[in-house]
Amino acid sequence: MSDITIENKLTEMFDNWSKESVHLDSALTQVRKNAIKSFSDLGIPKLKSEAYKYTPVQRLINKNFDFSVSNQAAGWTKDACKEEFYQDDKANHLVFINGEYVSDYSEIRSTDDLEIKTIDDESFDQNAEIKNLMGKTRSIEKDAFAALNLAFFNNGLFIKVNKNKDAIDTFVYHFVDSESGQTINFPRILIIGEQGSRANIYEKTFSKGSQNVLALSILEASVAANAEVRFTKLQQFASNEYTIDGIYANQDKDSRFYTNTYSISGAVIRNNIHINIGGENSEAHMNGLYQIAGKSHVDNNTSVDHMVPNCYSNELYKGIMDENSRGVFNGKIYVRPDAQKTNAFQSNNNIVLSDTAIVNTKPQLEIWADDVKCSHGCTTGQLDEEAIFYLRARGIDKKSAKALMLNAFANETLEEVKNEQVKEEIEGIILNKLHY
Amino acid sequence: MLKINNLHASIEGKDILKGINLEIKPGEVHAIMGPNGSGKSTLASVLAGREEYEVTAGSVDYIDKDLLELAPEERAREGIFLAFQYPVEIPGVSTTNFLKTAVNQVREARGLDALDAVSFLKEMKAKMKLVDIDQALLSRALNEGFSGGEKKRNEIFQMAMLEPKLSILDETDSGLDIDALRIVADGVNKLKSDSNATIVVTHYQRLLDYIVPDFVHVLYKGKIVKSGTKELALELEEKGYDWIKEELATA
Ligand SMILES: Nc1ncnc2c1ncn2[C@@H]1O[C@H](COP(=O)(O)OP(=O)(O)OP(=O)(O)O)[C@@H](O)[C@H]1O
Ligand SMILES: [Mg+2]
Repeated sequence: MSDITIENKLTEMFDNWSKESVHLDSALTQVRKNAIKSFSDLGIPKLKSEAYKYTPVQRLINKNFDFSVSNQAAGWTKDACKEEFYQDDKANHLVFINGEYVSDYSEIRSTDDLEIKTIDDESFDQNAEIKNLMGKTRSIEKDAFAALNLAFFNNGLFIKVNKNKDAIDTFVYHFVDSESGQTINFPRILIIGEQGSRANIYEKTFSKGSQNVLALSILEASVAANAEVRFTKLQQFASNEYTIDGIYANQDKDSRFYTNTYSISGAVIRNNIHINIGGENSEAHMNGLYQIAGKSHVDNNTSVDHMVPNCYSNELYKGIMDENSRGVFNGKIYVRPDAQKTNAFQSNNNIVLSDTAIVNTKPQLEIWADDVKCSHGCTTGQLDEEAIFYLRARGIDKKSAKALMLNAFANETLEEVKNEQVKEEIEGIILNKLHY
Repeated sequence: MLKINNLHASIEGKDILKGINLEIKPGEVHAIMGPNGSGKSTLASVLAGREEYEVTAGSVDYIDKDLLELAPEERAREGIFLAFQYPVEIPGVSTTNFLKTAVNQVREARGLDALDAVSFLKEMKAKMKLVDIDQALLSRALNEGFSGGEKKRNEIFQMAMLEPKLSILDETDSGLDIDALRIVADGVNKLKSDSNATIVVTHYQRLLDYIVPDFVHVLYKGKIVKSGTKELALELEEKGYDWIKEELATA
C-alpha cells in the first residue's frame, strides 16, 4: 500500500483531466470541479464508518486498484454488443461501454413516449432539466462515490418519460472490457418520469477481460406526480469486478417507484439505494435477491425517507449464501414527524447453505411520527430438514428437493419484474445456480 | 413384500423401537394401534427412510431389496409411500409443481416416460376426484395454511398420484370430519389391489370399519405385543390398553 491516499490520486487524476479538457469553461466542468471538491471533503468511507462496517471499501480499492486506468474496450464492437440484446424489437436497447453511454451503438425505438439523450457538456448547457436535477437528488450529496461519479463520468444517459405516456421497455446494457488494463467505470443515468407516465428500465452487464474492474454507478430518478418507474438490475459480474452502485430517487405525490436488484456474482457488490418519498399517497418498493457463492460479497444498504403522510413502502430482500460468500443487508426506514399514516414494511430472509458463509443483517427504524404502521423482520437459517425429508419421501432426489425450496424462496423477489424475458432469464439463472 | 426382522431404532441415543417383527404380503391391510408414544410414527419414519433415526439392529427386506440401504427418494420410487401424521408445510412450492417433479422422477426410476403438462393435468384431475380435493387447494403452496383435514386429504391425493406398492398411513383419520373420513377411506380402498399392501396406523376402530384390516397389531414400548384380526381392534376400542399392559406384566 502506498502512502498517497486514494483521494489524492483521484484528485490528481481529475486535475490532469481538467487541464487537458477542451471544455475548460463549460458549465459541466464547473459542476465536476465542485464534485471533486465534495469528494475529497467526504473522502472514501473509512473502516470505522458505520455505513460501510462490513465492506471495507478503502482497503478493497487500495489493494486492487493502482489507478493506471485504461478505458479501452476494443472487445466490444457494435455487432458484438448487438448480439447480446434481448430479443425485442419494440424496445429501446441502450449501450454503455466501460461506463460511457454510446448512442451510436444503441437502438432507440421510442418516438413520443421517451426522450433519450447523452449527458455531456452541450446537453448539460442546453437542457434545464438535466442542469436542475443531475446530482441534486436528496441525500446524494452525502455519498462520496456519487460525487466521484459526477466528477468523472463521461457521456451519461438521460431518459425522460413524457407526460402520461406508458413507455416501451428500455434495456440498458453495460459492456465492460478490462483486457488492456485495470478499468474504473462511472456509468451515470438520470431518469425523469413526467406526470402520469410509466416506464420500465432493465439493466444488465457483460464483461470481458481479466484485469480488475471498478464500477461506480449512479442512477438518479425523479418521479413526478402519478408517475411510475420500475427499475430492474441484474448484477452478474466476473470475479474481478468490484461494484459500488447508487440509486437515488425523489418521488412526488401519487407516484410509484420500484427497484428490483438481483446480485448473482462478482468480487464485491455494494448497493446503495436511497428513496425520498416527498409527495403524499406514494409507494416505494424495494425487492432484492443475493444468491451468491465462492468469495462473493454483497452489501445492500437501503433507506427510505418518509417525508410526508399517507405513503407506503415495502422492502423484501432475500439471501442465499453458499461456500465462503458474505451477504450484508442494512435497511433503514426513516419516518419524519409529519409523516403520519405511514405504512412501512421490511423483511430480510436469509438461507445459509454452508458453514463458512456469513450474513450480517440489520434493520434500522427511525420513526418520529406516532400514527404509523411499521414492521420489519429478519430471519437467517438453513433449509428446513423436515421439508427436505417430506419431498424426498415423495421420490424427489435431495438436490432437486433443495432446489425446489430455494427456488420458491428466491422467486418471491421476482413478483415486480414485469418483462417476461427478463423474468425468465433471472429465474433461469437462479435455478442454474441451485445446482451446486 | 415386506419383512421386518428384529428391528431396533433409536433417536438421540434413546431406544424407541426394540425388536419389531412383522411380515406383510401383497394385497394385505395391516392396522397398527398402540398408546401414544409407543413408536408407531417412528416405525413409519424408519420405513420411509428418515435419517435422524439410527437403526441399531435388525433388517427390513422389501421385495428382494434391503430397504435400509436405500435413500428416502429411492424407497419412494420403489413404491413406499408414507402419509405423514403431521404433513410439512412448504412455503412457496405449489402442490402441482411439487407433484409434477415427484411423479416424473418416480416415473423415470420406474422406466416410464415423463408426463407432459397435458397428461399430467389429466392424471391430476382423475385423482382429485378420487379424494374429492379442490383445485384451488392444489395451486396454493404445499400444505401452507391448509386445515388439518385438508392436509390429510392432500396426503391421500399424493398417494393416488404416486401409485405406491406399500402405503403407510400414519393417523390419516385424525383431523378428518365424518364425511371426509369416508371419502378418504373410499379413496384408499379404490387404490387397493392384490399386488399392493397398506399399513394403517390409527387410534380409532372407526377407520377400520371403512378400511378393513386383515391383521391388527398392538405396538407398545417399541414392540409388537399382540397381533390378531379385526376383532382385536373392537376389543381395544371397548377395553383400552390396560388389559394388554396387565397381560404383559404377568407374563
Ligand atoms: N427427536 C426425538 N428425540 C427424543 N425422543 C423422540 C424424538 N422423536 C420421537 N421421540 C420419542 O419417541 C417415542 C415414540 O414416538 P412416536 O412418534 O413414534 O410415537 P407414536 O406411537 O407415533 O405416538 P402417537 O400416537 O402420539 O402419534 C416418544 O416417546 C417420543 O417422545
Ligand atoms: Mg404417531
